[in-house]
Amino acid sequence: MSVQAPELLTLEEPGDLAVPGAPGVGSWRAAWRRLRRNPAAMVAAGVFALILFACYPGAPLWVHFVAHRGPDAQNIQGTIFSGGHRIPVIRNDGTPIGPGLRGQYLLGADANGRDLFVRILYGGRTSLTVGIASALLCTLLALLLALPAGYFGGVVDRSISRLLDLIWSFPVYLLAVALSASLVVGGLDLGPIHISSSSLLIPIFVIAVVFVPYMARPIRGEVLALRKREFVEAAIAHGAGPLRVMWKDIVPNVTATTLVLFTLIIANNILVEAALSFLGVGVSVLTPSWGNIIQEGYGTIVTAPWQTIAPGIAIMLTAISLNVLGDGLRDALDPHGLRRASR
Amino acid sequence: MSGPMQTFARRLACASVAVVATLAIAACGSNSSSGGTAGAGGGHPQNGGTLQAAIPDNPDHLDTGLSYATEGWEILEATGDGLLGYRRASGAAGADILPDLATAMPTVSDNGLTYTFHMRTGVRFSPPVNREVEPSDIKFSIERLFRIDSGGVGFYSGIVGADQYSKTRNGGISGIVADDQTHTITFHLTAPDGTFLEYMAIPFAFAVPKGTPNRDISTVSRWRVGTGPYMISQYVPGDHITMIRNPNFHSWSPNDPAGHLDQVEIKIGTDPEAAVNETAAGQLDWYFEAVAPDRLTELKARYPSQVHIYPRNDITYFLLNVRKPPMNNLLVRKAINYATDRNALVKIFGGQGTPTENILPPTLGSSYVRQWPYPYDPARAKAMVARSGTKGMTVEVWSHATDPVPKAAQYMASVLDSLGYHAVVKTLDEGVYFDTISTEKGDPQMAFVQFDQDYPEAQDFIDVQLNGERIVNVGNQNTSNINIPALNKQIDAARAMPLGAARNARWAELDKEFMQQAPWVPFLNRTLPKFVSPRLHGLVFNGTYYEMFPSMWLSK
Amino acid sequence: MRSGRFWLRRLSGLVLVLFALSVMVFVIFNVVPGGDPALRLAGRHPTPANIAAIRHDWGFDKPVWTQYADMMDRLFIKHDLISYQDQTAVLPTIGRAIPKTMSLAIGAAVIWLGFGVLFGVLSALNQGKWVDRILTVLAMAGISTPIFWLGAVLLYLLTFAWHSFPLFSWIPSGGYVALTTSPLQWAEHLILPWICLSVVSMGFYSRVVRNSLLEVQSADYVRTARAMGLSRRRVLLRHTLRTALIPLTSLFALDFGAAVGGTVILIEPVFGINGVGQYAQQSVAHLDLPPLMALTLYGGFFIVIVNAVADVVFTRLDPRIAVD
Repeated sequence: MSVQAPELLTLEEPGDLAVPGAPGVGSWRAAWRRLRRNPAAMVAAGVFALILFACYPGAPLWVHFVAHRGPDAQNIQGTIFSGGHRIPVIRNDGTPIGPGLRGQYLLGADANGRDLFVRILYGGRTSLTVGIASALLCTLLALLLALPAGYFGGVVDRSISRLLDLIWSFPVYLLAVALSASLVVGGLDLGPIHISSSSLLIPIFVIAVVFVPYMARPIRGEVLALRKREFVEAAIAHGAGPLRVMWKDIVPNVTATTLVLFTLIIANNILVEAALSFLGVGVSVLTPSWGNIIQEGYGTIVTAPWQTIAPGIAIMLTAISLNVLGDGLRDALDPHGLRRASR
Repeated sequence: MSGPMQTFARRLACASVAVVATLAIAACGSNSSSGGTAGAGGGHPQNGGTLQAAIPDNPDHLDTGLSYATEGWEILEATGDGLLGYRRASGAAGADILPDLATAMPTVSDNGLTYTFHMRTGVRFSPPVNREVEPSDIKFSIERLFRIDSGGVGFYSGIVGADQYSKTRNGGISGIVADDQTHTITFHLTAPDGTFLEYMAIPFAFAVPKGTPNRDISTVSRWRVGTGPYMISQYVPGDHITMIRNPNFHSWSPNDPAGHLDQVEIKIGTDPEAAVNETAAGQLDWYFEAVAPDRLTELKARYPSQVHIYPRNDITYFLLNVRKPPMNNLLVRKAINYATDRNALVKIFGGQGTPTENILPPTLGSSYVRQWPYPYDPARAKAMVARSGTKGMTVEVWSHATDPVPKAAQYMASVLDSLGYHAVVKTLDEGVYFDTISTEKGDPQMAFVQFDQDYPEAQDFIDVQLNGERIVNVGNQNTSNINIPALNKQIDAARAMPLGAARNARWAELDKEFMQQAPWVPFLNRTLPKFVSPRLHGLVFNGTYYEMFPSMWLSK
Repeated sequence: MRSGRFWLRRLSGLVLVLFALSVMVFVIFNVVPGGDPALRLAGRHPTPANIAAIRHDWGFDKPVWTQYADMMDRLFIKHDLISYQDQTAVLPTIGRAIPKTMSLAIGAAVIWLGFGVLFGVLSALNQGKWVDRILTVLAMAGISTPIFWLGAVLLYLLTFAWHSFPLFSWIPSGGYVALTTSPLQWAEHLILPWICLSVVSMGFYSRVVRNSLLEVQSADYVRTARAMGLSRRRVLLRHTLRTALIPLTSLFALDFGAAVGGTVILIEPVFGINGVGQYAQQSVAHLDLPPLMALTLYGGFFIVIVNAVADVVFTRLDPRIAVD
């Protein structure tokens, strides 16, 4: 399940993870204990935490203490001291310096003389921000659509399902790229608000929208199954209004699925941001992101391979850790232990 | 971006000064390029063989009435002819205009208002048309440009009756008088225009047979004919182009040779990196586009005889929009010029070219007089900006997305930042870029422009891009919007003069005066590096036609 | 056999979806400024009269819905839709591109299905042992790889950096050779793209197959078979594999539809395969509406049809499930 293979997340039996009423503290604690006993998931969580640390607080620290140049500091005509010699950062034929064991330009420079390692750290900020923010927005939109669809059924469900089908039939990349391309040219004007074409809000918005069906469908399935459960029928029979039932009985029971999906879709969205930047319609070039660093370096992969290779490795590490963590979460939140028994 | 997106300069280039072996410019009249013995040497030309060529994308058109890009012209110059043509040589000689389908240069009368050509007989169109070309075909070809909304109509609007015809599309252009009995054709102009000879030498004026339909005939072999030594036998867009010998051709002058190659096979869709690999592996002989810049150093080291570097007739610059603050302030424009280190920009372009502060490229003969009015001086620049009171303003720098242009734009943004501005880079795909910056809606404060010649004369550079009278809301080429009436008059005066040294001196003077107004930050005259197979010889680079197929030959 | 009503409903659904898609594409590209097509068609140095003439000849001065109707007409009835970028005919270009994309997608599908199931079975058979762990790690890595990046890096390493090693020297650096021209070269040119396109699905399928197999294993009828003395392996392969593969069919259908309809946009430009994906990527970059319209409808059509087929196959395989 990732952008490259966009199919449904299969939770075999929707509604499997539900318990009557709000799940008590006990079941969450039990889940947490199960998670802690999963070494792969713990390592993954640690790796992800490390990446977050490196990119958010770690980046300015590195700049201040080691690299002494920010992600945007160009240096085409400069020289540095390396291996006992003073060498140009960029040669006359445009080739930048490569990686080396030194504080400055640890992974080398890019074609404008910027420190590649620093850019990757700051690029991580952008990619993670876009990934997490779009995942949050996607989750919000998915819940707003899936809850009424599953709860009310009938016409409401049919129309929302049609809408989801429609978004999903639009070839994912073409839709994302079409939206981005047109927004990137002129920005977006929503009444008095003008979002400039280089704002991060545009990729966040586009990626969130395109993957709403991906999250909304499984959640809708769960809500549908939950709706038929006795405790929900009972609540309705007692006169509780739809909003109340949704909030008190249904939402707590889809939290588990939503959490798993949320974790997995962050990984997905980071990969999508990279792909969109590669196609030239992602994050605009003056803000580094892992995707657009790859895109900038792609043309000179022969003389400066690290500019393409390093951000890709960063993306993979982040995505792997999130995927393993999400897998672990799914196992931990499955109280029937069906799959636990087979592990 | 580079790599996956196959793009190529959609602007034409010309070299009328010979080649550079290093980054120094030397004028010489050699008949081949520098740095490559594969081009010059190899012995005596042999006939025969099929050239394996490749191009990254479909050429814009294979219809002489519509094609307006180097790839198209490079193919079409081998398949067609006009009344006049350029000397099929490299260097300054390549800008000389010679008679082609005309028997001699035209007689000019009525104070430069009338041009009379006498046409050759016995020149035939390629199959399936086969018949002799006549003056009425030339008249038809020019009129057809107006009927198909060709990009080239601007060149022929100075003919009497052309404006009327472009509106009514009825009755022909009265100012063109073709007489098939006497084999003459006469053009009447509305005003004297020395550049008219250039317009008759470019492919838009090539002869197409009467009856050619009013639509793009690039893929219509019934009408895709010409009078050149080769003909296009097949064009499958996205797949390949095949050129074979034109059986109806016989050479009528040394400037129209029959060619050595039997056939040219052009594969469509090969990107620059793949082209380098295939050429090194011996599968490809010749590629339409420049060598991928990151491979050049390695190729020059490993296959020095197979690398050729040609100077283009090109000026690469960032425009400064004099209508928009802060660029409306002359102090600011000069400051930006002082603050730009041209050598840094040359590095970004992989060292492929020479730094410049002229409007005109050095390949334009005596029109070019080297100047350097703004030596690199960041301190002085900062002081000027401070005096101008525009510090802190936001400036948008536009570029297109093909490597390495975005990097150059980012460099300019850092220059602006260092001057105290807040710079933002905006990137558009190359396919839509030039259209967008040339509209009033676009109208950027600062933008990248690479201008290659349409024809090898200074008017093409100065009149088109700096004459205030040429400013329009849509399709604007004077993108800096500079409009100085005194200079406009000088330009108009120069263009009326006949071609030659006196006219060139005027252009040189205008070059200097415009740079005092700093409408641009010119920085580079790009070169064209090529990598070819070891069996390919006879490469001659002409600034308008580029490398010409009729001169190429293959060794066994 | 599925009822006529089922197909009728599906067909009308397809038409509605395609209509909605076409409107969406048209709106997106017309509402937002993306370069005046008249300017692009006019070429260099156009005069304002020139541009106005083109605008009129091509109908850009007509109201939006007329333009939409015109485009649909050219696409479906007259078949003469023309690109704004280089005025080539769109439909023949797509026609020539489809075999290339199909070669890519079908080859990759065979690989990801075959190896996905293989690795999943191996994992399940060796559950908990090091084989399982390694395959799990590989699967996770596969799911997490940006495929365009993988393509670029593989191309760089195998056709440039390590090109001199005999193991890699035969790998071409991109392009496409038709199957009819030379099957060997066709495969040589496609092997790296196949790997890149299948890496993600391979990882995902092996996980799904593995989990599915292990889950089925705990079912009653399997326990009975084990109790009767059948070996674990035999039970797995003969009795459970078929059931475990059922969810895979619908996944595969969705995957394949998505691959052909869209994911190829990431692989083809990297390898220079002039298929549908590369055409799509170029058209979006150039904001070229006519090919984009055709490609979106082609992609949407594919996805919807494949979904319908998946539903049919799914219900035939597992008669317990009734698909509405």
